[in-house]
Amino acid sequence: MTTATMSIGSHRRTITTVVLVLITLIFAFSSARRAMWVDLYEFFLWMETTWFGVIGKTWGAAFAVVEAFHLLAMALLGGAVFVADFRLLGWAFTEVPAQEIMDKSHKVFVVGLIVVLSTGVFMACGVAGKIYWLPVFWYKMLVLMTGILFVFFIKRPLLARDLDEIKPWVVKLVAVTSLLVWVTVAATGRWIGFAGS
Amino acid sequence: MNELLYNFAMWLDTFETSTMLHESYYMYNWIESTHVLTLMLCLGMLFLIDLRMLGMAFPNIPANSLADRLNMPMLIGFAVMLVTGIILFYAVPVRNTQSVWLRIKLLLLFAAAVNAFLFHKNMREAKGDWAAQLKAPKNLQIGATLSLGFWILIVIAGRLIAYDWFDCEYTDPGISQFLSGCVDGQTVF
Repeated sequence: MTTATMSIGSHRRTITTVVLVLITLIFAFSSARRAMWVDLYEFFLWMETTWFGVIGKTWGAAFAVVEAFHLLAMALLGGAVFVADFRLLGWAFTEVPAQEIMDKSHKVFVVGLIVVLSTGVFMACGVAGKIYWLPVFWYKMLVLMTGILFVFFIKRPLLARDLDEIKPWVVKLVAVTSLLVWVTVAATGRWIGFAGS
Repeated sequence: MNELLYNFAMWLDTFETSTMLHESYYMYNWIESTHVLTLMLCLGMLFLIDLRMLGMAFPNIPANSLADRLNMPMLIGFAVMLVTGIILFYAVPVRNTQSVWLRIKLLLLFAAAVNAFLFHKNMREAKGDWAAQLKAPKNLQIGATLSLGFWILIVIAGRLIAYDWFDCEYTDPGISQFLSGCVDGQTVF
């Protein structure tokens, strides 16, 4: 095996993510996006006919409470992101090994993400016919996918190594990117409510 | 009391800035977004502290050290939430004064504040090497559980403020109008 192949091998996930992001961007700016968007309309109409959709549309109180839990889960996720990224930036817990903070906060992050996704699907079913037409909903989906890919395919694998081997500016860049991505996820999510009203 | 609150809200409503805020799509929504986004900072930190006390997060970090470190960002988040919350109230003063959900939220906030005071007092007075244990002493665990409960209810009540089910103009005289503090013969909602 050549050095170059070994080098690529060790960055397989990062390269996969970059390729996926590039494909997504090409897709976003091509006619294929519009064709798929048109095809998805039937799916969104079907979402409204599911149990989630019927409950979400019929019982406003149920929708509102699930919405509140969506926010609470986002807060939990945000807490985990902030703690991990503040540690990477050297702002907090510098006496604790970064690896330990990363691992423990990741567990909290995953719980938050699962609740965010499940409550998010419920809410989306309740207002599927509306959000389909909102650009901000699609931006949120794009940023959310980017965030998930970033965490599982870039941040986690990269920081699983010995941090002393990684250039400090790379670690800080990862932390800042992570903060920006997840705050954008939350902000675009909140804006769905305004855009749809 | 309700009449006094109503008159105060009416007075706030006469300010041009209140109307401007209310009618500005971007300004109002940005302030509300900031209010909600700061949840990630304030509640995120608070949840981690409470979960640590219950032995459900960051078990290897001393509980008091975690609380000390996360208190500052939590308070910064809370300060932003408080300021943006007051501005949001000022933008729609009459409706907010007569929102049953805001009234419940304020009561819960008061309860959460008392609980937080007692929690920190108990934490300072706790003896021994409890901070390194997986779970905090019983009284701190109770405080953490109450804190989680209060804040979950605060967020739910906050979310429900947006809904108009119990607004004065949509309800008949009765328990909901009583709880909302609707005033007889009010002319402005």
